[in-house]
Amino acid sequence: MSTTNSSAPLYEVHNVSKAYGSVVALSGVSLKIHAGEVIGLVGDNGAGKSTLVKVLSGAHQPSEGKVLLEGVERSWNSPREALEAGVETLYQDSGLAPHLSVSANVFLGREKYVKGILGKLGFLAKKEMDLVAHENLERVGIAVPQSNRSVSQLSGGQRQAVAIGRAVSWASKVIILDEPTNHLGARQAGEVLSVIKAAKERGLGVIFISHTLPHVLQVTDRIVVLRLGKIVADAPTSTFDAESLLGTITGLID
Amino acid sequence: MNSLADRARAIAANQQAMLLFVLLAMIAFFTSQNPIFFSNAVFGNIISDWSPIVLIAVGQAFVIISGGIDLSVGSTVAISGVISALAIRSMTEDGHSATVVLTLGFLISAATGLLVGAINAFLITKAKMVPFIATLVTMGAGAGLAIVLTGGGPIGGGPDAAIQLSVAKVGPFSYPGLAIVGVVFLLGLVLHKARFGLYTFAIGSNEFAARAAGINTQRHLAKIYTLSGVLAGFAGFYYYLRLGSGAPTSGLGGELQAIAAVVIGGAALTGGEGRLSGTVLGALILTTVTSGLIIINVAANWKQVVVAILIAVAVLLQESRKNVKGKSSRSLSNLFKKK
Repeated sequence: MSTTNSSAPLYEVHNVSKAYGSVVALSGVSLKIHAGEVIGLVGDNGAGKSTLVKVLSGAHQPSEGKVLLEGVERSWNSPREALEAGVETLYQDSGLAPHLSVSANVFLGREKYVKGILGKLGFLAKKEMDLVAHENLERVGIAVPQSNRSVSQLSGGQRQAVAIGRAVSWASKVIILDEPTNHLGARQAGEVLSVIKAAKERGLGVIFISHTLPHVLQVTDRIVVLRLGKIVADAPTSTFDAESLLGTITGLID
Repeated sequence: MNSLADRARAIAANQQAMLLFVLLAMIAFFTSQNPIFFSNAVFGNIISDWSPIVLIAVGQAFVIISGGIDLSVGSTVAISGVISALAIRSMTEDGHSATVVLTLGFLISAATGLLVGAINAFLITKAKMVPFIATLVTMGAGAGLAIVLTGGGPIGGGPDAAIQLSVAKVGPFSYPGLAIVGVVFLLGLVLHKARFGLYTFAIGSNEFAARAAGINTQRHLAKIYTLSGVLAGFAGFYYYLRLGSGAPTSGLGGELQAIAAVVIGGAALTGGEGRLSGTVLGALILTTVTSGLIIINVAANWKQVVVAILIAVAVLLQESRKNVKGKSSRSLSNLFKKK
């Protein structure tokens, strides 16, 4: 549960710009997200979504502008710092290590150790992690048969479910989901959307990036549209329909 | 119906069982060709050959599982043995006791290996050279320097206690050989039971995911290449004990044998996959073949050819196993990717 006042933004970027050499990927972007809110971040390819995700997740530092978590200005030097502060990111297509087990993936970077001196030496409590990984995935509404199986043995939908489960179960404040419903069938995509709703009910701020506009319209409270590195719309989801959203993304409607 | 084929396939699927089977078949073959092969003397010799190879192979296993390669280990064995030998000779001339001289000699050899490993680590993680090129550079530099320092010949002049240490004491094992078994066992625990190993697999499996999970992948890779260097330093000192001298030819071709042992042992050159027990058996198969060829009177220079063929067979088997499982095999271009 978030302890913040619901009227103050949980996570915020203010007037952020990012340039790669002479290419300007973001210019003067401001975005706020509150606890228990799901925002949809949409835009065409090259609109700056990936760059904004990297700034939000701590992978890249903005060239200009501020990042604020619970009103405090933060300057992430690495994704690790953002993770430790409670901002979790699920990257598009590349979030898991396929040779490792489900539980090793869920716990990657946050391993549990056996008790005593061996634990201090870095020896892992594999059984405990298998068990807790299973519980954590179930808690966020994801059923994966065995958590000691290697991820390469899972289907595409199961892998995505594990990746989302991993992110949602660790996030304490904000979760950023980059194209989480890509390559999924209708039923599996539906499961992902219900995980997002459950995260919202836990008081997390959810940033949902997707090209699949019906999903965005279905699950978000507010939609932010990026075009050519700038925010061109930021309004409650109820003010959009499929047609107007598409028009805003492509620039047919201004 | 075709239960025999099924059983063969099941054995082939169990890498360790297959390696053990290959090893036993080799022992049976060489013994049938020349019964002298099946003796304590030959087994002792095989273990003596195996000890330094398994050290550099274990280092190589960490490197390969992380998705990289270390071509410098053979040269590092040579340069650390040579530098250690020069120091040992000079300390012995100054009249220090054998214990002091050999202890310091060991530390100097390990430190030399550590230094080469640290240079590799720097080139790969800081200068952003691909592992293949970075370790090719240190391979050439190390081999050249070993010849420059020695003039090409072996450096002796150490205490006699050195050679005595390499005599088999416990079965086919000398005391340094037993120490090596201990080191390998500990590193097996580190690779398969501890965080260090898990991160090694994670980086080799998907470096992006490892970094996204907050792992400092560059620092971890630096540690792995440094470990590989230190183990090569250990192997350099082992050769010194065994020969009573440090020679620029010790460890020659060691990188090929190390890579062969790891690949025969079932690790994927694309990273993320492998078991240290496989590497240990792979090294044992290599050294058994080498000894066996000598005993059945095949010229020693065929060794390199046989090692090369074994690598080819192991890689082909791996690829076919992957295809059976329906997994797409990732390309080896990984080895040429920047870290």
